Amino acid sequence: MYIVQTTDLTKIYENSYIALNALNLRVDKGMVFGLVGPNGAGKSTTFRILLGLQKPTAGEVSVFGESMTPERADIRRRIGYLPTNPSFPKHMTPITYLEFVGSILGIDSSRAKVQLARLLQAVDLVGASAQRIQGFSTGMMTRLGIAAALMGDPELLILDEPTSGLDPAGRKQTIELIRELSGRDRTIIIATHILSDVERVCSDVGIISQGRIIYSGPMAEMRRLARQGSISIEIEGNASAFEQQIHTLDEIGSVRYERVGSEFRITFLGTEPLSEYVQRVINLIDRTGVEMLYMTTGADEIEEAFLRRLEDDRTRGFLRAAAWVAVQDLNDDPIAEFTKLERPDAGISRNPAI
Amino acid sequence: MQAFLAILRYDFGQLIRSWISRIWVPLLVLPAFALVIIAHEESELASETLAFYVWAVMAPISAIAVAILASSAISGEATIISDSILSRSVTRTEYVAAKIISRLGFTLAVYLIVVIPFTYFVIRYAASDTSVVGVIIGLMMLAAMLMFLAALGIAMSVTMSSVLPAVLVVLLSVTLSGPVLQFLGLTWMSTTAVIDQLPETFRGDAQAWDQLRVLLVFSALSIVALGSSVLIFRNKDL
Repeated sequence: MYIVQTTDLTKIYENSYIALNALNLRVDKGMVFGLVGPNGAGKSTTFRILLGLQKPTAGEVSVFGESMTPERADIRRRIGYLPTNPSFPKHMTPITYLEFVGSILGIDSSRAKVQLARLLQAVDLVGASAQRIQGFSTGMMTRLGIAAALMGDPELLILDEPTSGLDPAGRKQTIELIRELSGRDRTIIIATHILSDVERVCSDVGIISQGRIIYSGPMAEMRRLARQGSISIEIEGNASAFEQQIHTLDEIGSVRYERVGSEFRITFLGTEPLSEYVQRVINLIDRTGVEMLYMTTGADEIEEAFLRRLEDDRTRGFLRAAAWVAVQDLNDDPIAEFTKLERPDAGISRNPAI
Repeated sequence: MQAFLAILRYDFGQLIRSWISRIWVPLLVLPAFALVIIAHEESELASETLAFYVWAVMAPISAIAVAILASSAISGEATIISDSILSRSVTRTEYVAAKIISRLGFTLAVYLIVVIPFTYFVIRYAASDTSVVGVIIGLMMLAAMLMFLAALGIAMSVTMSSVLPAVLVVLLSVTLSGPVLQFLGLTWMSTTAVIDQLPETFRGDAQAWDQLRVLLVFSALSIVALGSSVLIFRNKDL
């Protein structure tokens, strides 16, 4: 059983804006899942549907194996949620607000006080615990939101941009806190567009673009794949001759490069293993008579991979639509369909294009 | 139930602290004191004094106060609802029910706290011409109208996303209802007609059926407004 599972989840606002487009998401127990995507990709909408705050236009959503609706307070009892730029009752103080959250969750007063004191210390708000929320900075609001999300010691934690508005120290502290919270049978889903945060804490990652998941897999796999297609090299000698020959390294259109002086960053979109590409580059160096000063594979790889995924998804939109129609005709099994759509048939295979 | 009670306490606390409550109660109490003194010194009729107070003070001031309090019930905290409350273990029904009970309860509490002592002092110090049953029925009719106004405000609060338009719609509905009801031949349902009839009602001279009809209609309208609020809110995207 997945902790979170959506099948063809679709959300269309007022018949004018498609926020989610047949989104298929699966999150297993114990995962720290990073949901990465540009602004407006559908991350927050996904979360709001997972929490029953919004109803899907079509498709299914289940949390802890049960269908989520606005009336399922029993499921929400097991979820902690931090929204982006959270809003709280301004007249309250962190203590009174967390007491209120505790009373909503049905935690008895004395236990709630112990819990809130511990959490306020964890998010570094002890000094501000008597202040009204009205005067809080964005960072303080986010930290209070994290504390509120943790009041019920939830099994599933949904954090929407948890490091948004935080200074570097606050960001580091939040990342450390998320690391501490992971494990112990707790599942965490983090939406962010800060890729370094995802790299630091997530065990798995999903890339969301235009309301659909275009990649989903383990973080280690993403890292490996990202490194696989990229070689940086600095040469001395006839760099122009080398540059003219770069396109011969693989099939036409499957090699891209950037040149800064004598440095080249070559990206392969083909399916060969990285060692094969390294060999071809070395052969090219021999052929063109230049001297290699250094060579590395992968740099800023995750960000690079993320951007390539997005670009690839955009350019293959029509192929994907055709694949979707074909799958609809042939297969009613949503899991098989998901696999086909999100993986090779849709032109977004996990291997080469990343 | 735990969540329902927590929200009820939270909302009641908010209402007590709100600036509108702090203005509303003194604006009702101070003229009431003045009227009791005048009625005593001028030997005014108790029924006329009570009706005048309702027409000149209670109705206009309370209409505005209740429209604002009820219309801000949900739309007034639109951003907080999803982030702080409904993303936790609260059902939509618990939330809206707590809001309805706190807003209606608060309105009724303020009304009774002001009107019961005032009525007592008027009957005691003015020229007494009222009947006990008449006074009770008259006050019940006013309470029913206030409850309807609060229910309408809550319905608007659920439907609209900001407070000001909701308040305007409620106040416009009340203002325009008179001519519309007159046009429809239902003048007896208008607030103006009910208030005009109050001296007779307080004296116990009004027709029982007319009074019952007003009570039934306003109660039924309140139930419809509140039922719609719950239904709309349960299906609303936040």
